[in-house]
Amino acid sequence: MKKSNFKYLIPVLITILFLVFFSQLLSRDVTKLSSQLIERPVPDFSMPSLFDENNILSSIDITSSEVALVNIWASWCVPCRSEHEILMLLSKTKGLDLYGINYKDNKKNAIEFIKELGNPFKKIGTDNNGRSSMVWGVYGVPETFIIHKGTVIYKHIGPIHMNELKETVLPILDKLL
Amino acid sequence: MIGYIGNILITICLLASLIQSSRLIQDRLVIDQKLFTSISFFSILISFLLLVYLFINSNFNYEIVVSNSHSEKPLIYKIAGAWGNHEGSLLLWILVLTIFNFTFGFSKIKFVNFKDKVMAFQSLIIFGFTLFLLFTSNPFLKTEITVSEGLGLNPVLQDLLLAIHPPILYVGYVGYSLVLSFAIGGMITNKVDNEWAAWLHPWALVAWIFLTLGIGLGSFWAYYELGWGGYWFWDPVENASLMPWLAGTALFHCVLILEKKNILQSWTILLSILTFSFSLIGTFLVRSGILNSVHTFASDPARGSFILIFLAIILVISFGIYAQKGPLLDSKDELKLVSKESSILGNNWLLLSILFVVFLGTLYPLGTDLFLQKSISVGPNYYILTLLPITILLLILMIIGPNTKWKNDKVSNIIFSINKLFILSLAIIFGFSIYFSELELTQITLLTLSLTLVFVSIKNGLRVNNNYSIIKPALGKSLAHVGFGLLILSVVANGTFAREKIFQAKVNDTLQIDNYTFKFDSVEQTKGVNFNAITATFHLMNDQTVMDTFTPEIRVYSNPPTVTSETSIIRKLLTDIYVVMNVPENSNFVNVRIHVKPMISFIWLSVILMAIGGLSAIIFRFKKIR
Repeated sequence: MKKSNFKYLIPVLITILFLVFFSQLLSRDVTKLSSQLIERPVPDFSMPSLFDENNILSSIDITSSEVALVNIWASWCVPCRSEHEILMLLSKTKGLDLYGINYKDNKKNAIEFIKELGNPFKKIGTDNNGRSSMVWGVYGVPETFIIHKGTVIYKHIGPIHMNELKETVLPILDKLL
Repeated sequence: MIGYIGNILITICLLASLIQSSRLIQDRLVIDQKLFTSISFFSILISFLLLVYLFINSNFNYEIVVSNSHSEKPLIYKIAGAWGNHEGSLLLWILVLTIFNFTFGFSKIKFVNFKDKVMAFQSLIIFGFTLFLLFTSNPFLKTEITVSEGLGLNPVLQDLLLAIHPPILYVGYVGYSLVLSFAIGGMITNKVDNEWAAWLHPWALVAWIFLTLGIGLGSFWAYYELGWGGYWFWDPVENASLMPWLAGTALFHCVLILEKKNILQSWTILLSILTFSFSLIGTFLVRSGILNSVHTFASDPARGSFILIFLAIILVISFGIYAQKGPLLDSKDELKLVSKESSILGNNWLLLSILFVVFLGTLYPLGTDLFLQKSISVGPNYYILTLLPITILLLILMIIGPNTKWKNDKVSNIIFSINKLFILSLAIIFGFSIYFSELELTQITLLTLSLTLVFVSIKNGLRVNNNYSIIKPALGKSLAHVGFGLLILSVVANGTFAREKIFQAKVNDTLQIDNYTFKFDSVEQTKGVNFNAITATFHLMNDQTVMDTFTPEIRVYSNPPTVTSETSIIRKLLTDIYVVMNVPENSNFVNVRIHVKPMISFIWLSVILMAIGGLSAIIFRFKKIR
């Protein structure tokens, strides 16, 4: 009798296993995820430019900048909206080039977004289906990478707010510039 | 003032449901479940209407209105704004929970003790979500500073389809809460038998219909608004809605067997628990901020922890009771290998295998990230390759199953009843392959089987009784199965025949893609309100006659300097065609890209067929009972 009852306990055990897994997921800090890209060269990619279909944004653009900041964003992403003014501020920094990758977005909305909030980027690439930005290991939007002479130095997941800007992003940029 | 009333009403619901749920552990104090359920239902209904009223009035004293509305937004989107955010959608979620409890309270089930326990457990679920609403996501928070204008709604979300997509999906998700309550009530009162299954049947179907429609609508929206011809992206949030659908589909087939044959009791209970658990897991993944996508609301770790604790409580109670009662549930009837019940059970396992594949694909990247600090992406290829063999088996069982007799049947009977239709389908697909375009073996297999399923299901639906009138209860099932066959057929056909080609063209050139011939007629400069445009005209030709005209544009805006390409799209019953162009500098030709996307509208049609199938099954069922 006891033996046959054991199988009815299996779901409970599996459940506990998954609950532990889920709670682990919750407790991790998504903004500090490590990236395979850190200390590695910029991944190879190319995608059409948002404003000019004949032009492209590719790894060559990014490696040609001394210090580059790549921001992955979308018009549907609410945090991107709040982050945008920080990017506008950063775009005034001398010696720093900002590049945007517009992720899984509708072109019209993306252009409206930029028209409304301003364009901090030197160039914007579009990736409608998210395939070309796969090499960046895109986890969610927004995501920001800092690149020095073609090598990825830092990755930030989630929006950059004033305190993240002051505490982490600016110190890194100060060292490089 | 309004917010004050709203909060009081929510608190009333909280207390009422707490009192109701006490019936799970005490038998001394009898509670009028109907009365208390009505109290919770109406208090939540009124507070929801109050929230909608705040949005209609653009009352910017409330944070939720400021962040999600704008005074100049069209009325319909102001209303939809009420549930286009985390707090409001949670209130709607609770409203649907109470609607189910309220309606169930008025159902004609005679077994009082069972009804009492079901409503008590449903109230426990309502209590949990109401607590969640009040403490982590209160929709009636006032703003600290005075604001005169709202921030507006995400422009992508200003869409009529999207206004109705969440409510429909929620009815599906939440409907399975009542199914779980049925399971708990049934176990406590030792009433898991064919009568129990008969009571559960319509509720399980209602939830399934709404979930089917909700997923279909989401996919429809993605196709028209976001994509370039994509309708399903295997996005974690899409998967989160697919998982309860798969479990729920397996569930109501089991309910069917239980109702007819009084077997598989514990398995049905297990599926009931699983289905609502997947609804909750979906909610957890979407609202905790673990996943980031078009669906996520601004995230807050407290919310994630709360849902997780709630999920844990629900699961521990459910599986705890299951571990205790499970061994006693099953009857001793045996299952014969060749019978309708075993083919349904086989399909059950296949559906759960698909569920497992999707579950793994959704969580695996999170797992590697957590334990190995490695980010990986799981793309469509994983799903397509893994699901291919399972889908083939599923189709075969769906063809055989409905033509197999209950209890015991002979293999020869089954083969005899379907072989003509199978040969017919095979001939059609082979003919197509020879005359139109060559197909691969997997494509031939999938297309033939799904076409056979469509034919067989149509034939089953048209079966007549001795009076030569159609057997109505079988009609719903057949419609739903035709829908599923058509779904696989159109998905495979779309994947196989979608074409995309890029041309460098000059005026008067002829462009050929598959059997479509386009003539490049002209290019002209045009002027819009705030832009200059280059408009090209392409005619889709059939011999010398013009069938359709496409006019893709390139627009040049001056402030700020922006260039956009406007796609010209024509949607037809069988095929959607997209034409896009751009003009390279200093060149005398234009680049034209043409997409041909066949069978898209059949995907939507098949989803609608499945839902209508479910609906007619319920309607004819009620007629039969009367």
